[in-house]
Amino acid sequence: MNPAMLEKLREILPHITGYIYPNEIEVHWGLLIVVYPYITGIVAGAFILASLVKVFNVKEVQPLYRLALLTALAFLLVAPLSLVSHLGHPFRAYEIFLTPQTSSAMAMFGFVYAWYLMVVLLVEIWFDYRKDMIVWGQEEKGVMKHVHRVLSLFSKDTSEEALRFDNRALKVITIIGIPSAFLLHGYVGFIFGSIKANPWWSSVLMPIVFLFSAIVSGIALVILLYMFIYPMMGGKIDMKCVDKGMSFLFYAVIVDFSLEFVDFIHRIYQSEEEIKILGELVMNKIFFSLVIVQVLMGMLFPLGILSAIKIFRRFRESEELRKMLYFVSLILIQGGIFATRWNVVIGGQMFSKSFRGLTTYKMEFGGIEGLLYTLALLALPLVILAVFLKVLPPWKEFAKAPRETEA
Amino acid sequence: MKKPLQNMPESALRLVTVFAVFIVGTIVVVKFVIPPRFKDTKIQWADTVKTEVAKPVRYAGAVACTECHDEIVAEKKRGYHRDLSCETCHGPAMAHTEDPDNIKPSAPRDRKFCPVCHTFNPSRPRGFPMINPVAHNPMQACFTCHNPHDPKPPTVPRECSACHGEIARTLSVSHHVQLKCTTCHDVPSRHRVSPRVVKPTKPSSRDFCGKCHGQESPYKGSPKIDLATHGEKYVCWQCHYPHLPEAE
Repeated sequence: MNPAMLEKLREILPHITGYIYPNEIEVHWGLLIVVYPYITGIVAGAFILASLVKVFNVKEVQPLYRLALLTALAFLLVAPLSLVSHLGHPFRAYEIFLTPQTSSAMAMFGFVYAWYLMVVLLVEIWFDYRKDMIVWGQEEKGVMKHVHRVLSLFSKDTSEEALRFDNRALKVITIIGIPSAFLLHGYVGFIFGSIKANPWWSSVLMPIVFLFSAIVSGIALVILLYMFIYPMMGGKIDMKCVDKGMSFLFYAVIVDFSLEFVDFIHRIYQSEEEIKILGELVMNKIFFSLVIVQVLMGMLFPLGILSAIKIFRRFRESEELRKMLYFVSLILIQGGIFATRWNVVIGGQMFSKSFRGLTTYKMEFGGIEGLLYTLALLALPLVILAVFLKVLPPWKEFAKAPRETEA
Repeated sequence: MKKPLQNMPESALRLVTVFAVFIVGTIVVVKFVIPPRFKDTKIQWADTVKTEVAKPVRYAGAVACTECHDEIVAEKKRGYHRDLSCETCHGPAMAHTEDPDNIKPSAPRDRKFCPVCHTFNPSRPRGFPMINPVAHNPMQACFTCHNPHDPKPPTVPRECSACHGEIARTLSVSHHVQLKCTTCHDVPSRHRVSPRVVKPTKPSSRDFCGKCHGQESPYKGSPKIDLATHGEKYVCWQCHYPHLPEAE
């Protein structure tokens, strides 16, 4: 064995408890695979938030609509990067399209992804921005004029009829988009839930739990971004919009929490042969990330804050206080959902299939599976989003040059 | 065909055009630009077969050995190593079959090879002969005591734990530690020589455990049950593990 691997093994071996098979010492799906469901979750969640405006006609969250779409696109572009980085051989990635393997859920990812990107997100964003892009293309000068003209596919028609068609198309695409968003993230949950050899993953509830945690993380991130970016661009946060968004988030967290609680009770009541080792896993190896970060800080604490805001008048009256409390709960919820992904992916590989022992996961710092690369990967969508915000400003009040500010 | 196109809103027309170009472009690229061997699994399979076939043949196969070494093969057929191929231990022998006089296959004559299978490892099947290579006759080559073509222990194991170590370790922490193996198992003497052909017995009736655990039992200090009502149709060891009865 090579010395580096031997050294790694020497570090891990003292942390192994009980009996495990030799091939279970190393956790093969590391941080990058944690990031993948986290990012796709945000994509699906952000899209669901956007659909609130178009399909369910929730007018209050209109300011979040375009931001949600752009966030979804920025994160969707990065989603496969973590997989490709983990697998290596990026130049072979296109082969999943050339030699489709319909019996493999993982191999179908390319098609689920392509459908969602091409048919749902890009088309919806295009229809929504079409009129604006035409206007920008006519008014602007320099590079941006051409960028907007190309992006609008040199479209020129801004007649009433054309705009009505845009609106109708948007509605249809959003209606197709909701099941597609469910498919995208439900699929990610299915990948884990369908692994019958792993009792921590194997559950029919998995796709649904994934979906609701996706909705939670997507809505939370878009509101967080709105609270950050909008004031930075010189606007005043629309508290009605944030209140409504947080209210949806509140219910999503409750549903998510209930689903996970049902899953938990179900496992305990069933008490199958794996229950002992899973109990040990939860109480020892992932106690901090599951009980403290995911459940207490990521769910119960924010739920407490949001309930307090709903119940006590003092919170409802002070905008500043509410903003601060929202901000804290949004950060906590984001951390909680990341911990959810961590607990599923890493937790599922920590116990032996012999149900008699536990291994441990040691995160690397450098290298492709390391912390540094992962942080870069998580920052990348924000960089892409910054570019999108520059090219496709989501808020009309800032879209025009400063000389015409409406505020 | 013209009319629907004219009636279509301009935006949709552009989008459809872009999609059509994209789809047609993809089809053209996939059909005509990408070479077939990149996308046709049949060609890929055929290529793999070609690559594999082109590799030099190094193994002669088990049958080739019987032609000259029939006595050893016959001996091996009777022993525990009957399922191993000659080349498992002697290495690839194709060259030897082609030039038997000058090229001789290797034979493991040190202590490194046999422990690959026979070092103690709890995941090996119960009863599989396992040793600790550090403590087991240090410095002696395995074949000085064991004939690899018909490997039998040179001396018959005295203790059951020599083969059933896992059970012995489990038993050592249980309340049944004081019981001898023969209290519950009848062990024919042939079991020591042919452990897989002649097997020890297990208690076949409920009364056997009842000797200590029945309500009328004179033996004190063991949990008592009413044999008439407790788990009526099962033999005790179908529910309780006798080597560690306190386990759930």
